[in-house]
Amino acid sequence: MSAKGFWSRFLLPGGIWLLLLFVIPICLVLALSFGYTDELGRAVYAFDLSNYADAFDPIYIPVLLRSIGYAVATAALCLVLGYPIAYYIARHGGKRKHVLIALLVIPFFVNYLVRTYAWVALLADEGLVNNALKDLGLTETGIQFVNTPYAVIGGLVYGYLVFMILPIYASLERMDGSLIEAGKDLFGTPSRVFMHVTLPQTKQGILAGCVLVFLPAVGDFVSAQLLGGPDTYMVGNLIQDQFFAASNWPFGSALTVVMMLFLSIWMLGYLRSAAREARDPVSAGGV
Amino acid sequence: MTGVPPTAVGTGPLGRRRAKAREDGFDRPRFLKLYSWLVYLYLFIPIAVVVLFSFNSVKSLQSFQGFSLQWYDDFLSDPTLRESLFVSLRIALITMIIATIVGTMLAIGLVRAKTRWSPAANVLMLIPLVTPEIVAGISALLIFSQLGIHLSFWTIVIAHITFSISYVTVVVRGRLASMGDEVEQAAMDLGATRFQAVRLVLVPELWPAIVAAGLLTFALSFDDFVLSFFTTGEDTQPLPVRIWSAIRFGVSPTINAIGTLMMVVSLTAVIAAVLLPRFFGRKESGIKVLTGQEE
Repeated sequence: MSAKGFWSRFLLPGGIWLLLLFVIPICLVLALSFGYTDELGRAVYAFDLSNYADAFDPIYIPVLLRSIGYAVATAALCLVLGYPIAYYIARHGGKRKHVLIALLVIPFFVNYLVRTYAWVALLADEGLVNNALKDLGLTETGIQFVNTPYAVIGGLVYGYLVFMILPIYASLERMDGSLIEAGKDLFGTPSRVFMHVTLPQTKQGILAGCVLVFLPAVGDFVSAQLLGGPDTYMVGNLIQDQFFAASNWPFGSALTVVMMLFLSIWMLGYLRSAAREARDPVSAGGV
Repeated sequence: MTGVPPTAVGTGPLGRRRAKAREDGFDRPRFLKLYSWLVYLYLFIPIAVVVLFSFNSVKSLQSFQGFSLQWYDDFLSDPTLRESLFVSLRIALITMIIATIVGTMLAIGLVRAKTRWSPAANVLMLIPLVTPEIVAGISALLIFSQLGIHLSFWTIVIAHITFSISYVTVVVRGRLASMGDEVEQAAMDLGATRFQAVRLVLVPELWPAIVAAGLLTFALSFDDFVLSFFTTGEDTQPLPVRIWSAIRFGVSPTINAIGTLMMVVSLTAVIAAVLLPRFFGRKESGIKVLTGQEE
């Protein structure tokens, strides 16, 4: 047996598994999106474009746009919250670097539902935050946090922040620190050194972080369900409804395909940079 | 790979002082430090609230009246909730074992085999990592219903394995890519078969990454909600699915107790993933093994 033949056998179990249980199922979603539900409510495969016409119905357009808007806001907030802390740990973390990173990661191993639920308890009309604000005399009636877009976006930021911090941290770690020193020695002001040296050098990390936050945020339905209401429903909620409450699998599949087509632009960009990095890990500097 | 080359400027005593004098604005550690502490507070306050109120002696999430374990008692004396905990643990354990074996093999194949379809396999392996979980859940649900497979404990396990393989492969591949194949070659020159070289040389070399990836998979599977939600059937449901139905009936301190116990389980797995690699005789940090960074 040749070396090539020997090593390629290792690819078989994983390759076959992913082909059968990941690639083919996704093709099924695509196929069913052209189907319809019969009188008994069963999903039937067919070739029918009406699910796509429904997906772009004026009732659903706002939901799609809202999902994108929330996810963009989430990625932007994660960047604003995450970049400084990644920068602080990478440049000034010293010997405690690993501890500081570990502390960042720990909250993300608390169940996402439980974390979102914690925010419900904090932000509810009679929750801890409102009670504290009332005790301080800052508000008489309390502020409505839940059922607002802010609460939903806040839940998403809390859910996915770590996906922004880790790639940015990795790119800052990989960056040659002497570049910053050189910028300073050439009399760059701190902000110009940051804009012209640090930021471009960590571009790959920022892009990776944005994609890794944006993708799951668009498809999320937990935050909108628990912290929001009907006015803040996202496409994830709509899809989930089709598979459970409404039992309209073909329409749910079409919505999933629409979402995936939109996301695939971002996914492809990420995969390309990841593939480039696999060939040339030093210069690409992605995740 | 991560080592920063020694800098010519700013390393001598004079240079350091000069650099320090200019460290302000964006590079001002004091401002960054404060900002970072605020982010840490934001991250930990909700979790602290969950843990604190799980020990509350009254059924309230607004005021803490005293220490009690009654919500833990509520959780553990409820037979269906206890069964759900064991179901979650079993799913995580089986997922960990199968995904670690399959994912490690895939990583070895991706790095060592240079076949025509290696690049395709490399991309295929990454796609599950960037696919929103709801898509994964739906596609799993569709394939099971298409094949006429009843949703059960095993459909959850299969869905979890599919999405854990990629995590294992990424972690193990990171370590493998940083190793040469000289030792395997030497072993084969000394008469080992290829299979023996894998079993006696390659796997022991990879062991820290394999263990770390396995424990990470355990924690991810134990915490997973979305995949379980779409693939759970009439059998006893895993804990996160139970939490989902419970939350919709309103907040209750029992959920806090479940959440706290789940946190203990997954953090134990993660801490083990970080610390265990050190027991394999190498002075290296588990975080570096997990992120595939090597000196």
